[in-house]
Amino acid sequence: MAAPSMAAALAASLPAPSAAPTPAAPTYEAIPPSMSTLIDVEAEIPLQCVQLDGLVVSKILKHACDSNSSSPIGLLLGIDLDGVLEVSNSFPLPYHSGDDDDKSAKSVGRYQASMLRSLKEVQGDDSIVGFYQASTLGAFFNQNLIDLQAIHREKLRHGGIVVVHDVSQTTRGNASFRAFRLTPAFYDAYKKSNFSTTSLASHQLTFSSILEELPLKIYTNPLLSAFLGEFSTSSSSSSTFALPPSFSVLNLNSDGLTKNLEHIVDSLDNYRNEEGNLAYLSRQIARERAKADNYVAKRKEESAARVAQGLAPLPEEDVTRLFKIPPEPSRLESMLLLGQVDGYAKSLSETTSTGLVKMYAATAGSGV
Amino acid sequence: MPLAPPSSAIHIQPAVSPHLQHAPRTPTSISIHPVALFSILDHYLRRKDDQDRVIGTLLGTRIDNHVEVRTSFAVLHSETSEQVAVDMEYHRSMYELHHKVNSKEVIVGWYSTGSNLNTYSALIQNFYSQETAPHQAVHLSLDTGVEPGHPAGIKAYISSPVGVFPKPENCVFVPIPVELRFRESERSGVDLLTSTALSSSTTSSQPLSDLTILESSIQNVISMIDRVLTYVRAVLAGEVKGDAAVGRYLMDTLGASTADLEKGGFNARLQDTLMVTYLANLVRAQAEVSSRLALVTAA
Repeated sequence: MAAPSMAAALAASLPAPSAAPTPAAPTYEAIPPSMSTLIDVEAEIPLQCVQLDGLVVSKILKHACDSNSSSPIGLLLGIDLDGVLEVSNSFPLPYHSGDDDDKSAKSVGRYQASMLRSLKEVQGDDSIVGFYQASTLGAFFNQNLIDLQAIHREKLRHGGIVVVHDVSQTTRGNASFRAFRLTPAFYDAYKKSNFSTTSLASHQLTFSSILEELPLKIYTNPLLSAFLGEFSTSSSSSSTFALPPSFSVLNLNSDGLTKNLEHIVDSLDNYRNEEGNLAYLSRQIARERAKADNYVAKRKEESAARVAQGLAPLPEEDVTRLFKIPPEPSRLESMLLLGQVDGYAKSLSETTSTGLVKMYAATAGSGV
Repeated sequence: MPLAPPSSAIHIQPAVSPHLQHAPRTPTSISIHPVALFSILDHYLRRKDDQDRVIGTLLGTRIDNHVEVRTSFAVLHSETSEQVAVDMEYHRSMYELHHKVNSKEVIVGWYSTGSNLNTYSALIQNFYSQETAPHQAVHLSLDTGVEPGHPAGIKAYISSPVGVFPKPENCVFVPIPVELRFRESERSGVDLLTSTALSSSTTSSQPLSDLTILESSIQNVISMIDRVLTYVRAVLAGEVKGDAAVGRYLMDTLGASTADLEKGGFNARLQDTLMVTYLANLVRAQAEVSSRLALVTAA
């Protein structure tokens, strides 16, 4: 994944104060105080929230519905202003099913570069601020997301964000968008690529502390608001709406439950497998270590015996060279799987709790 | 579903003549996806000072004689009193980029903002007709409603040549009906945007819990029932003359029985749901404990 360098991101955002804020944020009458000096002070202000434009919302929705990949990914473009990250545009990244990674990474890089160049030509925002990923049933933890976010952390201002969109929740009638970024503790462990038990304990890492959530707001610009308002109110001449009200939320049918349960069982199985591997590896480590310890103890005994007999003790030996103790396995994978299990279970409990409410509502009049 | 103020145009659907059956059919209706519409509005907001209108390419799919506009992208163009220029290279490269992500969407036509159709429109239409050949290019004209006297709305046209010797700069734009269309699964997203747009600050915070949405929907239903009740009472009291059609609709809607739930189905389902809730909470608790244990063993 070729993201532009920090310098490029800075260069792209620097001329923005003179030109971009007006179209990007039409609500600001005056240039905010932080912008009055033309040096990049924005990078100093910590991010407080993420603001998603209506256009981006609809683009993510469409991409999530159209794509045949299980977790479609796209890039978010925008600008940061006074601690608010304004995401004003996005574009999907092509989906590669092929396994030849190097080639597809290159072509994605080329695609991304030319897309950014093209958007710049029509006065679009062209600085990448993060990416979005669509997921199903609340399980968004995967290796891909973590890797991409770690790359962005290095290269983007404010470390980049990831917006997670839940397709199944949207189908149920609650369009859900959440913004996350990596926690410093996790990133520290990731950089050292050390996910051994000791490292996890020292960083206090569990699946819930991999990502921290940022508050997210949806924003519609006045022109869009006007159009949407026009569509959802009936015109005087005919009583039809371009956008009639919908009550799909009240649908009693809970088809998704079985699928959700299946997903939980599957991911629990995966987790068990992973735990089995980890246990096997740690047993192997323990065995090797015991062998090494035995050897050292034996040697010490021998040399003590030699000293007792008045001979010179045996020379010191490097035990690590004799016994190859395998490195401690990474627990990242198992942590992510546990995160998935938790995500599935959370969405299941949400579905059932609304299901209860709906059931009682449906029978409210019939006195059951 | 009208997207524009009513017009007096008659939508003529030409009969398919038998010897022309293999020729591509003339589009008779257009649907537009919200993404395409929102992109056009965004492009309009980002136009330069000296630009009167912006144009761009519409991508989508064709099914029989229905054109579905799925996406749009902006195209550079310049208009002076003497000439019009469209950046064809830009249009091509942008189309290729879009094609990489979604290969099903092809060029179906073009859009412009503002409602005036002039000679330049005809020339651009001619250019896009070459791009979409053998199919006909459609033209969406979107009035942003910013200028007084022009109400906001979207109109769709197809073109047909005019005159004894057809010239590219002359054509008749024939209006065809246009509607907003998206998938049912995208519905809640559009609802979210609508409620955001109608709130006073035009922002809304996320994420909302399922229960909040459910609550607002139930409130909505309750208020509708109240409205119906007032109407029915007024009719019964003889204040308003009852409408037979409304009565039939009410009969159909409220006559739906919950007998299925009453026959013990309710209790069975309740037990299932409670069971699943319990299971889900159990799994979450276990996952949490397991992740904590991983930390403890090392300490």
